[in-house]
Amino acid sequence: MNNNEIVSELENIVGEQFVSDKPEETFLYHYDFITAEPEGKCDIVIMPKTAEEVQEIVKIANKFKIPLVPWVSGINFGSTATPLKGGIVVDLRRLNRVLEVNEDDMYALIEGGTTWAGLQAYLGKNHPNLMAGVTFSPPGTGVVASCLCYGMFNLGMLGGTGAEFINGLEVVLGSGDLVRVGSCSLSDYWYGRQPLPDLAGLFIGWEGSTGIVTKAAIKLWPKLPFRKDFVLMGNTFDMGIPVLLKLSKAGLGICDIFVFSYNWIQAAIGAYEKKVPLNPLKDNLPVFISGVTTQAYTEKQHEAQCEAIETISKEGGLTEAPQGISLDILPYQAWGAWNFSRGGGGEWIGSYCSTREIIKYYKLARETALKHGHTSQFYSRLLFGGHYCVSRFNINFNKNDPEEIESARIILKEIHEEVSSLDGVVMYKAPKWAHEVYEEKIYPATYELMKKIKNLLDPNKVMNPGHGWGD
Amino acid sequence: MVGVIKIFQRLRYMKRMGLTHVDTRHEIHKIERHQDLEHYKDIIYQCGKCGTCRTVYQDADWAAVCPSGEFRKFESYYLGGKNLLTWGLTSGKLKWTEHLASIFYSCTVCMACLQQCQIPEIHTYAVEWLMAMREEAVKQGYGPMPEQKLYTEHTMVENNPYMEKHGDRLNWLPSHIKQTPDAKTAYYVGCTSSYREQNVAVATAEILNSLQVDFRIHPNESCCGSPVYMTGQTEKAKKIAEENVKMFKDAGIEKIITSCAGCYRTWKDTYPNKFGLNHGIEVKHLPEFLLDKLKNGELNFSKEFNMKITYHDPCHIGRHMGIYKPPRQVLEKIPGLELLEMKRNRHNAWCCGSGGGVRSAFKDLSAFAANERIEEAKETTAEAIVSCCPFCLNQFKANIKNNEIQALDLSEIVKQII
Ligand SMILES: Cc1cc2nc3c(=O)[nH]c(=O)nc-3n(C[C@H](O)[C@H](O)[C@H](O)COP(=O)(O)OP(=O)(O)OC[C@H]3O[C@@H](n4cnc5c(N)ncnc54)[C@H](O)[C@@H]3O)c2cc1C
Ligand code: SF4
Ligand code: SF4
Repeated sequence: MNNNEIVSELENIVGEQFVSDKPEETFLYHYDFITAEPEGKCDIVIMPKTAEEVQEIVKIANKFKIPLVPWVSGINFGSTATPLKGGIVVDLRRLNRVLEVNEDDMYALIEGGTTWAGLQAYLGKNHPNLMAGVTFSPPGTGVVASCLCYGMFNLGMLGGTGAEFINGLEVVLGSGDLVRVGSCSLSDYWYGRQPLPDLAGLFIGWEGSTGIVTKAAIKLWPKLPFRKDFVLMGNTFDMGIPVLLKLSKAGLGICDIFVFSYNWIQAAIGAYEKKVPLNPLKDNLPVFISGVTTQAYTEKQHEAQCEAIETISKEGGLTEAPQGISLDILPYQAWGAWNFSRGGGGEWIGSYCSTREIIKYYKLARETALKHGHTSQFYSRLLFGGHYCVSRFNINFNKNDPEEIESARIILKEIHEEVSSLDGVVMYKAPKWAHEVYEEKIYPATYELMKKIKNLLDPNKVMNPGHGWGD
Repeated sequence: MVGVIKIFQRLRYMKRMGLTHVDTRHEIHKIERHQDLEHYKDIIYQCGKCGTCRTVYQDADWAAVCPSGEFRKFESYYLGGKNLLTWGLTSGKLKWTEHLASIFYSCTVCMACLQQCQIPEIHTYAVEWLMAMREEAVKQGYGPMPEQKLYTEHTMVENNPYMEKHGDRLNWLPSHIKQTPDAKTAYYVGCTSSYREQNVAVATAEILNSLQVDFRIHPNESCCGSPVYMTGQTEKAKKIAEENVKMFKDAGIEKIITSCAGCYRTWKDTYPNKFGLNHGIEVKHLPEFLLDKLKNGELNFSKEFNMKITYHDPCHIGRHMGIYKPPRQVLEKIPGLELLEMKRNRHNAWCCGSGGGVRSAFKDLSAFAANERIEEAKETTAEAIVSCCPFCLNQFKANIKNNEIQALDLSEIVKQII
């Protein structure tokens, strides 16, 4: 393949300054620089500004049968934006505007490359009474990317996964066609995905392998005048998880419930690792540290909600951390997450699962990590009023040390195997090797359907090959 | 439980306050500054290319901070990209090329990016490897950029990077300025004020006269070496520094007052800390000096200066040296003057786009940065953008169109009211 010819056609679309095949620029797109997943190769990087430009880029990819990888910051933790089969990385950073906020129906219409920093800045300035659900990921990461990958937010108790925050999408298909799904397909309102056939699913969970989302409407929520963040601590998960489950079903204006293990907190603030106990339980340290956020419209309502939360947590034996801690700090650079081991590498097994399995998940993963001499960095979030949860377990390593990388890969796979034995545990933003496990497990006719969908939307298989489903 | 509570107490401080916790790695492993690339190569790859260094962290509406990245857009031009390119190079994944060098030189070394990254080592030390990469580029024959090479050659002969004659350096000096031949205090004028913003030199000298400060200007004053040092030419800059220190020591100078942010940083930090020249000369930047005088009552502003202004923090005294307050304190004392802050100020200030050799080698990037700052200044409704660095001043003047806003140096204002 002649890159020069492709580059020159791409330059005609976006201008010379926004295309590069120089190693000094493409290097940053070969892989995510965080996980232990293998490197790919970015041959060309392009930065479009409009949906029309994206369409033209897709047409060129089809013409030359060259892969296209949608990309915002490429640090989704599953390495799903790594160009496994080479090709063109479509860096969406210039497609980053907040186009509209509808205060009545509470949604923001944003472009496909909008970052959390961009969205928060816009809302803070123009709509201080509305809030978006935000991830723990750094401010420069993508909102749409996260929603499409079932990301989870600090309003997860209200809205569920990021995918459920999506009201509608505008997408350039792998074929180059531009479609709109949701109420926006027949009106100017992006209030929801009902009542037409819900085609958003053709793009959610596909890791950019069916099309490039150029616009999305994302649900917002009212910021109520009274808010409290509880930090509740307990000695063990056995003790703490039942309390959180009870709280999730008690209807207390709760917008977020999550739990971190002791080691995660240490990692998140970048504590010196030699001072962090490998096994805090052995030292009788409280390993269960959770956050519960509630908000209310009136003071009386707020007091009643807080009182109920205090009662339930006290009854369950949890202690409340000092007053005044604000968890309203997102997006936040959880730098400890990857520099904990001085080496910048981190990867996790992140899965959706039944709330019944959180304790078992934590214990299985913890034991596997301890066996390999790793601290247990566990985190779980209850979602959508307690209907299900997400659980993640993190392994850190030195990304400059091939042996440590190899060892991290082994541990991650072991943990995955262990936790997959629990009912309903399914990894999200799964790296390639985990996909392979699921491809064998999935209901065969379902997998066939996935293949047909992929074929229909991306007939030349140019979209993010090696990732997603059914290629 | 106490331990965990302590952790949370620390977490509370993270919002908008950067790094305030104890027990982090960088407090335990102090890293030496001013070392070569080899020294930093095992820290750089802690960077996760997360993009936090692209915008103000949790403040100022998450506004952009990096002129180089905002202009070129590719990740390589932001700090994250530069970190990982450095890693690519030190780990053998990449090779030196002209283009690689140009990426590292397309950076004003303004340090706005570091302020945003919360990884302790990067937050505190990334400028060290940005400089070490320039030094390495020079060693490998890829640096400096052609325009920087030209001005360096000139500086080595004529002691200024402006292609002017050394003999013309004092042409700005009016006859009414009174110098004290055996004074122990020198006004270090610097090249920009000597050749381009001579009004700053005149104003500063007049202020010193009004305050009856015994001072002199070294008749052989030369470039401080900053433009040479900032472009990675350490050996040449060191030679300049050694000559300067010898010249000033031989003249019996014990204190330097300078109106230039770049000269200040170079004399105060680079000479002793990079070149090991512990000259023992006290170095004061004009606003610091004026503030001292205001505090001890030797300086009073008797007249009014009725103007709405905004203050631009020069990188070389701001992020490089931590001086944010003194210029503001001086300005606030001026009767009639209204100080309006730009959205990005102090450690989050957007660079004027002239430092790090960018103005000579990358004119389009430099003008982009200046215009962005001028627009921000205009948004405050200020009538003038005030700085205390002749290089910033000169940059603003060159980029302001149709007198849309004035550019002034602090010295020019103070001169009018004492
Ligand atoms: C420290 C840290 C903490 C994190 N915490 C969380 C968390 O709490 N919750 C959470 O959900 N995630 C979390 N993440 C993961 C991730 O960074 C976020 O979900 C993020 O918002 C995704 O953005 P990105 O820019 O990294 O996406 P990318 O990696 O660029 O993209 C993710 C995937 O989506 C595809 N894609 C991107 N944009 C489009 C588009 N417009 N159209 C079609 N496909 C597209 C890509 O090809 C890729 O497959 C965390 C990451 C880090 C590093
Ligand atoms: S320097 Fe810091 S903020 Fe910037 S990309 Fe690297 S880790 Fe993120
Ligand atoms: S020093 Fe300034 S120009 Fe250079 S990368 Fe950092 S913010 Fe950008």
